[in-house]
Amino acid sequence: MKNIIGLFMVLSILVILPTVQIVFAAGDEAGEYIDRRVEIWNLFFRMMTVAFVVGAVVSGTLIWLIWRFRESNPKATPTKYEGTGELDR
Amino acid sequence: MSGHSNWSEWVYIGVVVALLAWVGAEAWNIERLVEHVPENAEVIKVTGQQWFWTFEHEDGTKETGELHVKKGVPYKFEITSKDVIHSFNIPDYLVLMDAVPGRINTVWFLPVDEGEFPIQCREYCGLIHYNMRGTLYIEDGA
Repeated sequence: MKNIIGLFMVLSILVILPTVQIVFAAGDEAGEYIDRRVEIWNLFFRMMTVAFVVGAVVSGTLIWLIWRFRESNPKATPTKYEGTGELDR
Repeated sequence: MSGHSNWSEWVYIGVVVALLAWVGAEAWNIERLVEHVPENAEVIKVTGQQWFWTFEHEDGTKETGELHVKKGVPYKFEITSKDVIHSFNIPDYLVLMDAVPGRINTVWFLPVDEGEFPIQCREYCGLIHYNMRGTLYIEDGA
């Protein structure tokens, strides 16, 4: 467990720190000549990619979960409550 | 913990936290970049009023309903309003900023393509709002 938490802390830091450094490196000196259209649309497309990937993973997991654990799945195993009448109470 | 393994829940939490952190940091970074005005940006005072736009350049030149700028020169708009709230918008350059009476809002942009581009009001401001338009002329400054 600690390993997993540690792993994700490291991953978060790897992602966050470089971005924060870039942001603060900007400081008070003059800004660059940028095309705001390019920056804004690129940000939009990156965010859309993340949104669609997350959507696909979450809905895919749900679909798999429902398919795998349906009662009629040949691989389904009865729970310890089935047939005991405990669930009817 | 009721004895079952919950490593997958921690993986889920970790992925969500990492993604949210990345999305936030990335958006913040781009926002800073877009708002960072270059030092030599020319200031143009933009005033909205029912129902037209007026522009005043650094050299005192005034224009109404049309704005002439040079390609490759960064411009900083100082936007205000004389009556109600308007919103200064150049759709082709993703420039959008509210014009509020008694307040000066700023936004900057870099013209890169020569041509004519529409300017419009993006905040409903009364009867002729639909026609509160202008034209941006980007000319070769070389």
